[in-house]
Amino acid sequence: MDGPMVTMGVRHLGGQVAVVDIKGEVTAACEPVLMSAYEEAGGLGTSRLVLNFAGLEYMNSGGIGMIVTLLVRANRQRQQLAAYGLSDHYREIFELTRLDEAITIYDDEASALVGAAT
Amino acid sequence: MTSVARPAPRRLASFAVASEPGNERLALAQVAEAVAASGLAPARLERLKTAVAEATMNAIEHGNRGRPEIPVDVEVTQEGDDIIVAITDLGGEHALPGPVEEPDLLLKLEGEQRARGWGLFLIRNMVDAMQVRTDGVRHTIQLTMRAGTAAAPVSQTGGSQGGGDEEDV
Repeated sequence: MDGPMVTMGVRHLGGQVAVVDIKGEVTAACEPVLMSAYEEAGGLGTSRLVLNFAGLEYMNSGGIGMIVTLLVRANRQRQQLAAYGLSDHYREIFELTRLDEAITIYDDEASALVGAAT
Repeated sequence: MTSVARPAPRRLASFAVASEPGNERLALAQVAEAVAASGLAPARLERLKTAVAEATMNAIEHGNRGRPEIPVDVEVTQEGDDIIVAITDLGGEHALPGPVEEPDLLLKLEGEQRARGWGLFLIRNMVDAMQVRTDGVRHTIQLTMRAGTAAAPVSQTGGSQGGGDEEDV
C-alpha cells in the first residue's frame, strides 16, 4: 500500500475560482498530489479554491495535516478555501478540528460556487 | 440483596496485520465486519473505524516502527453493550505520539504547532473510552464504544474515560 491512492483533478471555473476534485484517500502520502493540484489550481490568479470531497473514500490524521498545510499556503496567498461533498462523518471531523471555521463547507458544488461568487 | 452478573466477554474477531503503511485500512475493515451485527449505529461505527485506523497507524509507525515482520494484533470483543477493540504492538512502554497540548488549528495556522498531530486527538474524541496498558513489550490501546447509545456530542476537549488500575490517556 505504498504511494498515494488518490487523484486530484483541477477545474478552472471563471477567472478566479478553481475546483479540485478529490477521489480516493487523503493521507500524509498524498502530499505531492495535493500540492501539485494546489499549484495548478492557484497558479492563474485564483482567489478561491473549492475542494470537492464527493469522491473521498478515506481520510486520516495525516490527511487532515495535509489540509492544514494547504490552508496555511492558501492563507499566505490570500486565497479562500471552500469545500463540499463531505460525508456526515468527515463533516463532523471538520467541526471537531475546527477546520470548518477556516474552510467554508457547502452541501454541493452549486452552493459552493454561489458562495464563491459572493 | 440481588446482584446482576456482568455478561462474559464474547470474542468477535482476533487477527493481526503486518506493520506496513496503509494496513490500518485492513484493520478498520475487519473490525467493521466483526461488529456489523452488534447494533452499533452507523455514525458511531464510522467513529469507531476512524479510532481503530488511527490507533493501528500509531502501533505500526511508533510501536513497531514500521517493521513489517512485527504484527499488530487486533482483538474485538463485546461485553454487554460495550464493543471493545484492543490494538497491540510490541513497542513496549512508549508514549503515544502527539503533542502534549491539545492540537489547536489557530496555532497551527500561525506556525506555532506543526500541521500534523491530530491522531491521538481524533482517537480520544471518536470513542467513549480509551485506555492504554503495557505488559512487558506488549503495548495495548483499548477502545470502547457502547452500542445502543446515542452518539456523544462533538466536544473540543472530548475525553477518554476509564477505570481500574490502567493508565488513562
